[in-house]
Amino acid sequence: MTNMTDKSIIQARNIEKIYPNGCHALKNVSLDINRGEVVVIIGPSGSGKSTFLRTLNQLETISDGTIHIDEVSLTDRKTNINKVREEVGMVFQSFNLFPHKTALGNVALSPIKVKKKPRTVAEQEGRELLKKVGLAERMNNYPSHLSGGQQQRVAIARALAMHPKIMLFDEPTSALDPEMVGEVLDVMKSLASDGMTMVVVTHEMGFAREVADRVVFMEEGELVFEESPERFFSSDNPRLQRFLGQVL
Amino acid sequence: MEKQSHLLLWKAVFVLIIIGLGFGIYAGSKSIDYTWRWERIPQYIINTEATTVRSPFDGTATIEKGNKLVVTSDYGDDPLVIKKFDNLLVSNGDLVFEGDPLVEVENWNIGPLTWGLVMTLQLSVVSLVFAVVIGLFAGLARISTNPALRYLSVTYIELIRGTPLLVQIFIFYFFIGTVLDLDRFTAGVAALSVFTGAYIAEIVRSGIQSISPGQMEAARSLGMNYVQAMVNVILPQAFKRTLPPMAGQFINLIKDSSLVSVISITDLTKAGREVVSSTFAPFEVWFAVALMYLVLTGALSWAIQRLEKRLSASD
Repeated sequence: MTNMTDKSIIQARNIEKIYPNGCHALKNVSLDINRGEVVVIIGPSGSGKSTFLRTLNQLETISDGTIHIDEVSLTDRKTNINKVREEVGMVFQSFNLFPHKTALGNVALSPIKVKKKPRTVAEQEGRELLKKVGLAERMNNYPSHLSGGQQQRVAIARALAMHPKIMLFDEPTSALDPEMVGEVLDVMKSLASDGMTMVVVTHEMGFAREVADRVVFMEEGELVFEESPERFFSSDNPRLQRFLGQVL
Repeated sequence: MEKQSHLLLWKAVFVLIIIGLGFGIYAGSKSIDYTWRWERIPQYIINTEATTVRSPFDGTATIEKGNKLVVTSDYGDDPLVIKKFDNLLVSNGDLVFEGDPLVEVENWNIGPLTWGLVMTLQLSVVSLVFAVVIGLFAGLARISTNPALRYLSVTYIELIRGTPLLVQIFIFYFFIGTVLDLDRFTAGVAALSVFTGAYIAEIVRSGIQSISPGQMEAARSLGMNYVQAMVNVILPQAFKRTLPPMAGQFINLIKDSSLVSVISITDLTKAGREVVSSTFAPFEVWFAVALMYLVLTGALSWAIQRLEKRLSASD
């Protein structure tokens, strides 16, 4: 058992989240994630899966419980949350690219401002990352001149530019036209095969089945069920069955 | 094609209305008992009247080659050498006495209205810089989560927006100016920047709030702290969005600066009043003053439009 916790890069224990308006978004959620593991979280909308993901880099504060990222406690007042966030990349449903910067500008901004890298170094690394996500030709385009799929790939490159240990994906393909989902999932798959620790909130069951090491099902703020993909999709858990019946 | 010709028609209507208005003003000016003396105005903008150089001592004038006038003194003073002039009033070998006109020099002197314009420009530019700084910090404080900052900012904005600028100028000059021993110009600049700052604060606040919260989240998730995210991500976008209302506020500032003439700062408006009292041509002077304000505000709004166009590269 001790080995288990040693390997965990994310330890979330007994997370409670109650909004000021009384909404109970997370109820006693615990999840350990190992280094290099790909965990997919699925569940109906309003189940708290995005909220849980956002607690992992403290975009959402928690009401109770503890979270450790690489042995650093996020609830400890002495922790510099900005340092933790450098290690935890995040990709959003709505891309959230900086519209006043080019693709390359988006990727290079944080390394320059936060890691204080010289511009030439940051831009060189940025070009390589953009090449890696297949956007070598689009580096100097502004986000408004890129398709949704291209924007999301820039967003992934932007998060990777900080050399994070963990990548969080918050429904990365939900805002995309169907024909662009594939290109984003391909980038995520190659990232997974490079050994990146990933936590992915998604409705892409195919991705879960194919790439995930573990699939987690959340409903009404509770973590209902977690399993390996094979067992997960053949489970006869009634709540899961009801949900899968609705989406498939 | 149908639509094209309609557009042309309406443009013609516009031109006709403008001509009609112009004629109306002209007819109006003829119907009143008033002698228009436009020729009196230009000298108050740029004075081209020649100045006469007079001899400072008794002596002899000689004209040397290359059109150089040398006056040698009878009493051993250093000779007077004039190299540049427009009209020569003496001949070679003339005896001249102290006070005799020697040459005329045509130089361009800035008239009182132009001095007023320069003062208005100085007031506006200095106030603008302070107003933007005050407005930026008050706007940021307005959306701060810290109640002390937020209430301070709200109090400031409400106090300033709720009282007339004219009254504020009097308070700044007579009360605060006395307490802190401020000169007129400083008091005027302080009143204008504090007044405009309150409006800019609201523009800054609405500009920042118009940026989607996802931008701040994305910046913070990349490890930027609040200040870095504001400076590198939120404010550049907000700046672009707030340019049109900012332009309006800057133009208001230039126009509002006319109110500081009440504390005897010789800006364009006060210069206009002084010129009226020496020319007795109030209509012409006020039209000229209005035109000079228009030049300032027009140039500003042109410059901001250029800037907007340049920033629209990322749209």
